Amino acid sequence: MMFVALVVTGALLGLNSRSPVGSWRAALDLAGGPLNFHLEIDSSSAGLGGKICNGAQCQPVVVNVEGDSVVIDIADFAATMTATLRGDSLTGAYRNVGSRGPRVIPFRAARGRWPSTPAGKALLGRWDATYYLDWGTSPRVFEFRNGPSGLEGTIISNTGDYGHFSGLVTADSFAMAHFDGSFVYLLTGRLKGDTLRGLFHAGLRTQTPWKAVRSTGRRHLKSPAEITQADTNAPFRFDFRDLDGQRVTSEDPRFKGKVVLVDIFGSWCPTCHEATPELVRLYHRYRNRGLEMVGLAYEVTGDRAIDARQVRRYREKFRIPFPTLLAGTNDTEAAAATLPQLHGFTSFPTTVFLGRDGRVRRVHAGFYGPATGAQHTRLIRDFEREIEKLLQEPQTTQQ
Amino acid sequence: MLSRFRHPTIVTALYYLAAAPLSAQAPDVARERAAYIAWLETAPNSPLKALAQQPLGSGLTLGPEDADIPLLGLPKHRLIAKENSVILQGLGDDTQVVRRERPFRISGYTLYVTASARGKMVTVFGNSTRKRPPGYYEYDSSLVFTGRLVPPTQRSSSRVLTSDGIETQAIEAGTIVASIGTPVKLRVLRIPGASGEESELEIFFQDESNGEGTYPAGRFVNLTPVGRGEYRLDFNRARNPFCAYNSVYPCPVPWRGNLIRAPVRAGERYRGGGLDVVPTSKTR
Repeated sequence: MMFVALVVTGALLGLNSRSPVGSWRAALDLAGGPLNFHLEIDSSSAGLGGKICNGAQCQPVVVNVEGDSVVIDIADFAATMTATLRGDSLTGAYRNVGSRGPRVIPFRAARGRWPSTPAGKALLGRWDATYYLDWGTSPRVFEFRNGPSGLEGTIISNTGDYGHFSGLVTADSFAMAHFDGSFVYLLTGRLKGDTLRGLFHAGLRTQTPWKAVRSTGRRHLKSPAEITQADTNAPFRFDFRDLDGQRVTSEDPRFKGKVVLVDIFGSWCPTCHEATPELVRLYHRYRNRGLEMVGLAYEVTGDRAIDARQVRRYREKFRIPFPTLLAGTNDTEAAAATLPQLHGFTSFPTTVFLGRDGRVRRVHAGFYGPATGAQHTRLIRDFEREIEKLLQEPQTTQQ
Repeated sequence: MLSRFRHPTIVTALYYLAAAPLSAQAPDVARERAAYIAWLETAPNSPLKALAQQPLGSGLTLGPEDADIPLLGLPKHRLIAKENSVILQGLGDDTQVVRRERPFRISGYTLYVTASARGKMVTVFGNSTRKRPPGYYEYDSSLVFTGRLVPPTQRSSSRVLTSDGIETQAIEAGTIVASIGTPVKLRVLRIPGASGEESELEIFFQDESNGEGTYPAGRFVNLTPVGRGEYRLDFNRARNPFCAYNSVYPCPVPWRGNLIRAPVRAGERYRGGGLDVVPTSKTR
């Protein structure tokens, strides 16, 4: 019904139904309901491009059209949406790799934009949530606020946030989505009295029930610093090659006597896309006072040429001024093996703070992106304080 | 759209699944089958292309005739299992990290390392196959059920083989009752998925069509949540374990209790080809 109405509206507006250019209200049809997101397709001299958006947070895509078939390539995450354009609707599927069969989620879109629906006060603010898994419970924190595109928020776990969620509110119920081409998350819930209850949907079929109560201010999550430990008895060592194949090691003069932040990241990792621009900002701010940084990329294919191309795009996107090295692949175990001085290294991104003597002073697993609001501000302030403290240490190199 | 919240430890009454005429599902099933066949025909890790699957132990040699896994045309390589990673060592000291759960290409072959409950497993795939993709029964709307999953009375887990021959620790998720001739209570396990947040609710079942049109060792079917705490059990989506395509894969031992005493002529058929030996309790 809605689609018919949209098709008619589209025709009245005189949109060219043969071109996919324009705004689309898109959805992935998960088993538990639709995950809504915006799709913008635009045309330039370079061809068709565009973005997929959760509220104001967007991810670039490359669009190719052949006849009535539209291929939307989410290059940053090596995933694809393919669809057939009929009149003013797109119908198809989102796909990425799997080992027991294809991972496919039905995709559809109609011309237009999702309405912006702000939430009532009762829903806004910080909530302490509990996920009920078959094997026990797991804590999360939800932060809800109203933004320019209606209800938005974030989900925070022990190791970081899931990025920006954006969604719709109807009476006491809400549905908020995070789809960036890699992660497919939908949070649905309803407020009853002073308790929120609902489901967290991951991928096509996984649904986890949860319950949340107003945050009391008491600590609900485990601090990220408690998760990863490190060997602090000796200077932290790394020895990898940069994108041009040049060897870069922790012994290089550029790191000697400096406070060093090691950014362990992957171009496939959404939270890393939140962390890197902040690290670049900190780099510019403290560089003259003795801060150095290095990015260690753990990529997808293990093929140097492909991985280097992907990381080069990442460098350009964030204008990274410090060295970026290809350290390995994004398997937690393989990654851990390349940095044996980190124990229990399980999160991307992980930021390792080294003092002027080269030893690990702090390991921060995960990163609260700007979508977390106050959490983000506090984390950045905390990083700044840590950097300033380390910069004040005497410049002796004890090797 | 919202499901009623249900604490998993609350034992609800036993619900029988009502057969629902959901022929609206037929196009979805057709699409899923087409996508699956396309994956079988094109994926570098398609089970139709599998050449070997074995535990990695402390390491394996690949390549020459006397290697642990002989691979025609491949010079000697050694896969080494370190405590926290897998390294592929070629001639000389040239080494590469092989990460888990991703295809790793090496001159015409693809390696795939998976963590299993018994340690790491490696599966090796070739470039092409002469094996044919599977066939299916016509869609049968009388074999689509919707109902509740009754949680187990206590938490427990079982070690089972997944469809791709990997031993995994699965969580008992409860039981669901379907009426095929007579009501039958089926055991459901939660099988860990691609990411920490994802998993599948699976049933491995046997029925009286096994060996007479369907794969002799039984088939997998998953539960799809449809909201309000209900799940869809659609036997048109029943799938063969990969040992049906290729004897490289070990076959899952039928799960205790999941025997349907009626033929389920829906979902994936079996027309021989991949299977060299009818499986018995080959694993465990």
